[in-house]
Amino acid sequence: MLRGGIVGAGRMGLTHFSILNSHPEVEMVAMCDSSSFVLKNAARLMGIEPFQSFEKMFDTMDLDFVVVATPTAMHADVAECAIAHNAHVFVEKPLTLNPQQSQRLLELVQGKDLVHQVGYAMRFHETFRKAKSLLDSGAIGRLATFTVEMNGPVVLHDTQKSWRSRPAEGGGCLYDFASHTVDLVNYLVGPPDDVVGTVFSRIHSDGVEDAICSTFVYQDGTRGNLFANWSDSSCRKPSCRFEALGKKGKIIADFYSYKVFLREAHEAEGCAEGWSEGYLADIAEPVRIYIRGFQFTRQLDYFINCIQERKPCATCSFTDGLSADLIMDRIRTDGNARRSHAR
Amino acid sequence: MLDRIILGDNQFFGINHMSEEKARALAIRFRDLGSILRVIDTAWECGVRGFMFNTHDQVEKICDHFRARPGKYADLRIYPSMPYAHKYANAVHEKGLIGALNSFLVHGRSVGQVASTVLRGGMSILNRDIVEVMRLLIDAEMRIFRGLNVPAIFLQNIITDLLLGCGAREAFVAFADHIRKAYGAEPAFNSMNMPALVDFLLSCGLEAPIVCSAINKTGFLMTPGQQEYERTLASKPFRPMAMSILASGAISPREAIEYVCGLPNIQAIVFGASSKEHIAQTVETIRACWNLEARAPRLVKVS
Repeated sequence: MLRGGIVGAGRMGLTHFSILNSHPEVEMVAMCDSSSFVLKNAARLMGIEPFQSFEKMFDTMDLDFVVVATPTAMHADVAECAIAHNAHVFVEKPLTLNPQQSQRLLELVQGKDLVHQVGYAMRFHETFRKAKSLLDSGAIGRLATFTVEMNGPVVLHDTQKSWRSRPAEGGGCLYDFASHTVDLVNYLVGPPDDVVGTVFSRIHSDGVEDAICSTFVYQDGTRGNLFANWSDSSCRKPSCRFEALGKKGKIIADFYSYKVFLREAHEAEGCAEGWSEGYLADIAEPVRIYIRGFQFTRQLDYFINCIQERKPCATCSFTDGLSADLIMDRIRTDGNARRSHAR
Repeated sequence: MLDRIILGDNQFFGINHMSEEKARALAIRFRDLGSILRVIDTAWECGVRGFMFNTHDQVEKICDHFRARPGKYADLRIYPSMPYAHKYANAVHEKGLIGALNSFLVHGRSVGQVASTVLRGGMSILNRDIVEVMRLLIDAEMRIFRGLNVPAIFLQNIITDLLLGCGAREAFVAFADHIRKAYGAEPAFNSMNMPALVDFLLSCGLEAPIVCSAINKTGFLMTPGQQEYERTLASKPFRPMAMSILASGAISPREAIEYVCGLPNIQAIVFGASSKEHIAQTVETIRACWNLEARAPRLVKVS
């Protein structure tokens, strides 16, 4: 039985808690949050030991692992404390707010033989996994262009009181929302050699960007465009779409399905010449519990499995977290340069 | 008594599990209240009297329509499902947890009502325990359905499944107690994890619980798997209701309905359809498969 704790009991924190708490080989014993309201009620309903100080939680609870789901600015301190206490650590995305911090965490965790994972859940989503498999198989030939687009109804009013509107805490569309698309590009295509043409737009927020567009350039000539907007009131919930065009075909993937156009059939991928498609309803592998999506259970069961088998995570490790942070840092630098130029 | 055939509301609010394009097409088609009411009336003409509504902002207007025509909708039965999770999630994103809770408790209420709420639970939401907050939120959501006939009230699946994973027994028991005492209705639960939920609810001491879950021939959204669902249906003392029977269009309606109607103990089917042809066809097929005119629904009495 693995003993687990959680730091940060917001929407993602509680989702992770629920998924892990129902794992037959996990016992969730501790919760740390700044809200006494949350802690008091979690202790009562879920029987956890409540903490307002994560240091105290690590000192007293002898945890095998911890899930860090705080506002992003706190990730580094909590993860470092977890590593110092020899706890395997799962950190919500993005890993930290700057690559130096992420690099330091990676070095600390690698020195301890601990399992480390970042919550880029889209890597555990079947349709994007199929896109990865299709790209890696060479089915669409050498990649020419791609687009990744994510829209959602996260910030729809001018007044916001949550940490998401404060850049120092990790708010803003880039880190809090578009980080998913940045990691998706990193996963599917790899890190770009250059980031250009970034524009940050404000729709409702004062202190942070609500929308981003950016162009990724690769030395082999591949070009990609990223569009993210968290102030899209036309969406009921976040949507994400990846489209890639190669010399031999096209792949389109979103949360519900994938579609492939191939100039030649590709047997290994089960795709005929012309259009093929697959729906989540047909390709989703079962999970043991479903809470807000297959991918959330899959990513945490993978984390637990890596701990049990004493093996490093092959995907979504801190190495991948650092890689995404490096790309976001370039997007931020590129976008900020353009903003000052405009002034 | 539960209705055996219930029209669901996903299609009205742009929800489709197969594609974002289909979801958007639905949102466009049902952009005005009139188009939603026309579909409701079509179902009504086909003999449907049970309607499940999530506590979406639009539902208040639909309920106003029903309230304004008590003669026409005399035997209407509404099955609310709450909370509409995205409404809360978006508010928490913008206002933080406490700000969001406060805004939902105050929304649409008079000064007197707010004062009474404050008196019931202390000055601040922070001083309240979660069970009291949950009761207040249920009461806030139930104002949408005031004056209408509500046989059962569902806890929406995201919250049900989150609380299931958390093992929050007291929350389920408190929900059930409040629904019975305050509304004289049956507590019910939507879930994506029917087998695990049924075991959990029975272990909480809830007798013959009503659980509505996806049940379809393809196994879509049936966690952890179709076999576990079929085993639970055949062996556990609960009142199952089936939704997502068409697996968002992956199977033909007749095949889909024959599968569900052939399973043991299913009390009701919640279906989503938008055209007159589909509604009529679905209702007729369910009636034929269940031989509904000849046989009264088999119901387990809940003490």
